[in-house]
Amino acid sequence: MRLAVKFKKGVPVRFVSHLDVQRLFHRAFRRAKLPLAYSQGFNPHPLVSFAAALSVGMTSDGEYLDVILTEGMTPEEFRSRLDPVLPEGVEIVSVMDLGESKKSLTSAMRTASYTANVLFDADVSQEAVSSAITGLLSGEIVVMKKTKGGIKPTDIRPMVIELDLVSLAERNAVFKLKGVLSAEGGLNPDMLLAELYKKLGVSGASEVNRDEIEMDIDSLLA
Amino acid sequence: MDKALLGSILKTVEKPSRYTGGELNMRVKELTAPDGKKLFRFALCFPDVYEIGMSHLGSRIVYNVLNEREDTYCERAFAPWFDMENAMRENDIPSYSLETLTPLGEFDIIGFSLLYEMCYTNILTLLDLAGIPLFSRDRGEEYPLIIAGGPCVCNPEPVADIMDALVFGDGEEVMNEFMDVYSACRAEKLTKRETLLRLAQIKGVYIPAFYSPEYDENGNFKELVKTEASAPDRIERRIVKDLDKAVYTGKLIVPYMSIVHDRVALEIFRGCTRGCRFCQAGFIYRPVREREMGTVIKQADDSLDCTGYDEISLFSLSSGDYSHIHELVPLILDRYEKDRVSVSLPSLRIDSFLKDDLEKIQKVRKTGLTFAPEAGTQRLRDVINKGVSEEDLLRSVHDAFVAGWHGVKLYFMIGLPTETDEDVLGIAELARKVSREFYSMPKELRGKGLRCTVSASTFVPKPFTPFQWEPQISTEEVLRRQALLRNALKGIRGVEFSCHYSETSRLEAAFARGDRRLNPVLVSAFKAGAKLDSWDEHFNKLAWEHAFVENGLTVEQFANRRIGIDEPLAWNRMDALVSPDYLVKEHEKAYEAVTTRDCRKGCNGCFGARCREICGKKDGAV
Repeated sequence: MRLAVKFKKGVPVRFVSHLDVQRLFHRAFRRAKLPLAYSQGFNPHPLVSFAAALSVGMTSDGEYLDVILTEGMTPEEFRSRLDPVLPEGVEIVSVMDLGESKKSLTSAMRTASYTANVLFDADVSQEAVSSAITGLLSGEIVVMKKTKGGIKPTDIRPMVIELDLVSLAERNAVFKLKGVLSAEGGLNPDMLLAELYKKLGVSGASEVNRDEIEMDIDSLLA
Repeated sequence: MDKALLGSILKTVEKPSRYTGGELNMRVKELTAPDGKKLFRFALCFPDVYEIGMSHLGSRIVYNVLNEREDTYCERAFAPWFDMENAMRENDIPSYSLETLTPLGEFDIIGFSLLYEMCYTNILTLLDLAGIPLFSRDRGEEYPLIIAGGPCVCNPEPVADIMDALVFGDGEEVMNEFMDVYSACRAEKLTKRETLLRLAQIKGVYIPAFYSPEYDENGNFKELVKTEASAPDRIERRIVKDLDKAVYTGKLIVPYMSIVHDRVALEIFRGCTRGCRFCQAGFIYRPVREREMGTVIKQADDSLDCTGYDEISLFSLSSGDYSHIHELVPLILDRYEKDRVSVSLPSLRIDSFLKDDLEKIQKVRKTGLTFAPEAGTQRLRDVINKGVSEEDLLRSVHDAFVAGWHGVKLYFMIGLPTETDEDVLGIAELARKVSREFYSMPKELRGKGLRCTVSASTFVPKPFTPFQWEPQISTEEVLRRQALLRNALKGIRGVEFSCHYSETSRLEAAFARGDRRLNPVLVSAFKAGAKLDSWDEHFNKLAWEHAFVENGLTVEQFANRRIGIDEPLAWNRMDALVSPDYLVKEHEKAYEAVTTRDCRKGCNGCFGARCREICGKKDGAV
């Protein structure tokens, strides 16, 4: 059977890389003695896939993975076995039975929203930030982006759905961001924020949390 | 510790999870006990990066031993990589522990694991980053006690001015005695000096400040004069007699990042009976003490349960020598087959007959195979008492090829005592025969292509071995012999050559046998920028050259000098239990190319008069 697991990646594990998160879950499943299905072949590996990678340093309230088991069990039982063996900072939000679906979680991803806590290195006014956002979103946002063919100028504006200032107190700002996230790629919040810092003429240090990945669940279960 | 600042720095460095802690099974303790007493805070430091340090079994054991104590909280620290060290210095972040992010300067005791000589500058990095003076004489009552343990304590002199105390031998018992005495001293509010005087009374504890070195008119080491009457004449190495009763690793910490030995390590025995004459471990972990199979299985169960690892390593100096190896391997494989746990056997000797076991291991997963003939000719293998023959090697690789392996590593040493060009060329001859063995097999019986890696390191003479008096060959000679071998290996099908950079081997030789004059050299090198010296690509040759010059010494006088059999040795205050006469006798036999039997086949008397007390075996018994 196939289960989808939504989990949080908190502050204690925010510097654990995507590859290491995969291994972390693999080991947790083994500690929980869950009946994992393995791939065939020379070096069998457990059939676990992750919807999206999260940048190292970011926290998240909603990451997704799916896992195939050789025996049936209820999502509740799965969760009750996994919860006690997870390291600090990794938390199960929900478990869902994916039934007979073969579609990948990645294919169901649509958008992702983020909260960014930013500390500027100089004073900025609310008006300046607002007009910088308006200016930034009014045209192309060309950044140098690493692609397979090397570093190329890329317009990330089509990836941006929302960029809002939530609050500003002294040099501490909170932003809400929303961007495209799909199998083809997604918005990198730090990249967008860096462009905003440029417009403002300041530097900033950000702590970003992925609040939610919007999934088209119906497409998975269809 | 400013966590926000640390967080912003970690975004900029490579492999940030080296520096965060918080792994599964990390020990978390209240700093104050229920009775209101503050816990002693012990920082267990491994002077290399996280992925190396976390792979060290001994540190895992000591971590557990100390944390089993209710009065002590042991935390971990590792050396930062270059990028992290720079970031820490730029932002005034001190070296800190992973458990509670506490600056090392706030600990009661800082203990270093000394596993190899080339990590010594990293000790200085960790102390310096914590704002702790490097020399013990410059540290007042306000600083932590700085101590060390591990195999390099065999010759502690090159770090004797840095350390307040060193612990010699197995740590399981002596670390508890150490903490008991330390605790009593704190209760009595004793000064550091008074505390050290008490600690010196523990068997196996060395307080360098109580011994003062003297040198002769030729600039060679003469003696360590005792300056404190109550200090022991010799420091006896500690051994744990019964490993089945000893504390093991407890709940293993499971790192997030992948570390060098990323598996459950089960130590099946300590010590080695073979007596290879170059091998320090073979002498300083004697006598052999085995764990019972039941203990090993129990530890395997517990460790797999609490970690989720899918690999077990049956660990020892020569795993094929374990009395019950042919029972243990199938037992473990069967027990965990359904859980897809694979088993690896490091340090297999070529002459151990393991064909059936290899086939079983193969069923679960292919792991690499490494063989260590060490020398290219039978004559030289007899000199070093590596009692394996060419037939042994060829039979073993044949078995491995039949079992489906096609990758093997062959380890050799260059520069062993009495080595000639014929011996060097013999290495290539052996490699050629291995290649022929593979390609002469029918295609359907073997793998596709052979991958045979010939690795040649440089011989380093080590204290408490029969070769402790031997010089290391000069750098020019090392390079010449490496070139000779590289040339001879050319064109052998499926064979590739890798060899160790000789400058670090030479420094290793100097620090292995050096005396107390190397302390200022070490500090000079550190100040000139030497760090992480065992990482060849970052080795700072100029810093080290400068350091020796600045102190009026040469690396050659320590590394490349033959020490007379009757000359005093810088490590004379240390008693590794093996009798000095035995080492002299073994040295003579080496030059006659006469081998010494495996002591499982009968006692060779290596402990002299103390045989019964230390080894406790009757002649011929195992």
